[in-house]
Amino acid sequence: MKKIKIDYRQCIGCRHCEVACSLFHVEGIINPRRSRIRVFTEGDFCFPVIAGPFTDAECNSRNVVVIEGEEYDGCLLCRASCPVKPVFKEPDTDIPLKCDFCGVPPDPQCVKWCPSDALTLVEDQE
Amino acid sequence: MSWTGKVLRVDLSRGSWSIEALDLLLAVDFIGGRGLGARLLLSEVDPQVSPFSPQNKLILATGPLTGTGAPTGSGFCVVTKSPLTGAIACSTSGGYFGPELKFAGYDLIILEGKSPSPVCLSINDDEIQIIPATHLWGETTCRTEDIIRADFGDPWLAREIHIASIGPAGERLVRFASIVNDKYWAAARSGVGAVMGSKNLKAIVLRGTKGILVGSPDNFKQAVSDTLDKIKKSPLASQVLPELGTSFLIEVIQGHGILATRNFQDGVFGGASKISGEAMRNTMPQTRRGCFSCPIGCTKIIDKRAQAPGYDALAQLGACCGIDDLSALTSANLRCNELGIDVISAGGTIACAMELYQRGILSPKDTGLRLDFGSVATMVELIEDIGMRRGFGEVLGEGAWRLAQTYGHPELFMGVKGQEAPAYDPRGVQGLGLQYATSNTGACYASGYTVIDEILGIHQKMNPQTAENKAAFVKLLQEITAVTDSSGLCPIVLFVLKLADVLAMLEAATGAGYTEENLLLAGERVWNVERLFDLKAGFGSKDDTLPPRMLQEPMPSGPARGQVCQLDHMLPEYHQLRGWDENGIPLSEKLAELGLEYK
Repeated sequence: MKKIKIDYRQCIGCRHCEVACSLFHVEGIINPRRSRIRVFTEGDFCFPVIAGPFTDAECNSRNVVVIEGEEYDGCLLCRASCPVKPVFKEPDTDIPLKCDFCGVPPDPQCVKWCPSDALTLVEDQE
Repeated sequence: MSWTGKVLRVDLSRGSWSIEALDLLLAVDFIGGRGLGARLLLSEVDPQVSPFSPQNKLILATGPLTGTGAPTGSGFCVVTKSPLTGAIACSTSGGYFGPELKFAGYDLIILEGKSPSPVCLSINDDEIQIIPATHLWGETTCRTEDIIRADFGDPWLAREIHIASIGPAGERLVRFASIVNDKYWAAARSGVGAVMGSKNLKAIVLRGTKGILVGSPDNFKQAVSDTLDKIKKSPLASQVLPELGTSFLIEVIQGHGILATRNFQDGVFGGASKISGEAMRNTMPQTRRGCFSCPIGCTKIIDKRAQAPGYDALAQLGACCGIDDLSALTSANLRCNELGIDVISAGGTIACAMELYQRGILSPKDTGLRLDFGSVATMVELIEDIGMRRGFGEVLGEGAWRLAQTYGHPELFMGVKGQEAPAYDPRGVQGLGLQYATSNTGACYASGYTVIDEILGIHQKMNPQTAENKAAFVKLLQEITAVTDSSGLCPIVLFVLKLADVLAMLEAATGAGYTEENLLLAGERVWNVERLFDLKAGFGSKDDTLPPRMLQEPMPSGPARGQVCQLDHMLPEYHQLRGWDENGIPLSEKLAELGLEYK
C-alpha cells in the first residue's frame, strides 16, 4: 500500500499541489478551494494537509500541537472536513471533499507537481 | 480561456462600484497584466494629469497565466501615472494577491477618484464593500494586515484572505512608496503606493472561491510539466536561487566590477563579501518561501517574520550607501517593507544625499545628521524619517532627482526620467545602460533584465563591455519581458524559459491563437503603448539618456575600469529598430503595424 509522506520542512508554500489537485479533479478548472489538499501558513510555517474523512459534528475538545517549540491549534493539522472549517468542501455546495489518491493505482497529482519534495509517495512498511 | 472576463471598477469618490465585461479582443492584443493595464491607462487617463489628482487611476491587473499554476504565475501589475517620474508606472509583484484576485473572479481592478476619508476595499467574490479605515491610518503594512486579520474573528477566514496595503509612506505621499501584499511581497517601484495613499485607500482585502478556466487542460498540464522539468534541470533555478535567493548576485555583479558603490562612484565594493548571499546563508538561519505556484522559491524568510534582503536591498542600501553591515541591512529592508517604501529608490536617494554631503553641498545644518557613506545609524534614521515624512526625510521623500535639483546638482542624481537606477552600474554592462535609458518607467531593469545574457550567459553568452549588437538584443528582450509581465509570470522565469515555453503555456491556457510572432508583436505593442503615454506626458528622446557620470566618467577601478556606457552607439540604432523617428515618436507605419494611434 502506498501513502503520501508530508515533510513540512521542505514545503515552500507555493500551493502548486492545490492547483494540481483541482486541475485533475475538476476538468479544466483551477480552483484551490476545490482542492483536496490545502497548504496552510502560520508565520513562516507552511504545511500541506490532505483532506480526510467527513464529520458532521464539531469536536467537543481541542488540542494543541507543539512543533519546534511553537504551539499550534490541533484543528489546523486535522484532516477532517467538518462544520467549523471552511475548507475541504465544495465552495458552492458544501459537499465534503476527500483525497482519493487520484485513482487506482495511486497516482497523486499533488506529489507530481510538488517542486520541493515536501510531498512524496512512499511504500507503507506495515 | 484563462481570463476571468470581468473588470471591477471602483469609484472611491462616490463609494460606488461596477462590474464590467472585459473587452476580450483587447485582452488578446495586450495579453493582460502590464500590457492591458497600460492600454487602459492610456485610454482612460490624461497623461498630463497630476499623479495625485483624483483623475489619475490605479489599475491592478493580472494576466491570463496568473493563478493558473503556470510556474511563477503569481504576478500582478500596478499601473498608474507615477508621482516619482510623471511617466507611466508598471510595478509588478508576486505573492498570492494576484492569483486571489483571479479566484475572486476579476482580471483587473480599476480604482478611480478619491475617498473623502481613509477606507479599505473588501472583495469577497461578488460581494464588494468599502469600509472605513480611519483606525488603520498611520499603521505599518504588517500591523495593518494583523489588525484586519484579527478583526475577522474567524481564524479560518483570516487565513484565507490576502491583503495589499500601504504603510505610513504611502499615506504621506512619499514619491517612491510601495504597495505591500501579504507582508513579504511588494509592487515597489515608481511610487504606486503614494497614488493609493492619495486616494485615501489603505488596503485591499481579497477572498475568492471561484475557478479559473483553462482552454486545453491536457495541453496545459503538459506545458506546465515541461516547464517544471526545465526549471528542475536549471542549476540556477533549482539550486542557486532556492539556496541564496537573488542575493547570489552580489558576488557575481561585484565580480564584473559593476556593483554600484557609493552612489555609483565605483563598481567594486570593499565590503561585498560581508553582504553577499553566501554571508547571509552562513550567518542567518533562513527558511524559503515560494510565491503562488512558483517552484523556484527565491523568497527567504529570517527569524519567522522578516523577508531577507534580496539583491536590490543589499546592493542599494548596502554598497550604494557604502554599508557592509548585514544585520543592519536586514533590519533596514524589513523597515522599508513595514513603512511601505521601495528599497531601490530609498537606497538611491540616501546615496545621493550622502554624496551631496561628501561634496560639502549638504551640511549637518541642512540634515540634522552626519550623512557619511557607510554610516549605519544615519541610514536607519533616514529610512524612518522618509517613511514618516519628518525632518530631513521630508526632502528625501521626494526622491533623488528632486533632491539633487533642490541642491543645484542634478548631475548627482543616478537615475533616468526621475527614477533611481538599480545598483548595477551600466558602465560595465552596456545593454543594461540602454535598457535604463529607454525604459518607459524610468531607470529599471525589470522590463529588460539584460544581465541574464550579458552577465549570466544563460541563453547566449554576450560580452557585457561591448555595445555591438546590443540595440537589437535589448529590443527583443524588452518585447519578451512585456509578454511575460503581461501574462502574469515572474520576470525570473526568463532565467530558464524561452519565449516558446511561455507560448506553450499561454496558448494552452487561453486558446487565443498565439504564435511566437504575434506574441512578440503583442510585446512590441505593449512597449509602444507605454511609450505613447510617456510622449503625451511630455517625455521624448531627450529623456532617453543616462546620468553624465555613466556616460562620461570612466569607471575608476575593477574589471570594468576605464569603461563608460556607450549609449550613443546604441540609442540611434535602437530608435531605428523600434520604428521611431529622431524624437523617439513611433512612425505612422509602426503604429499601423501595431494597430495603435497617436494624436
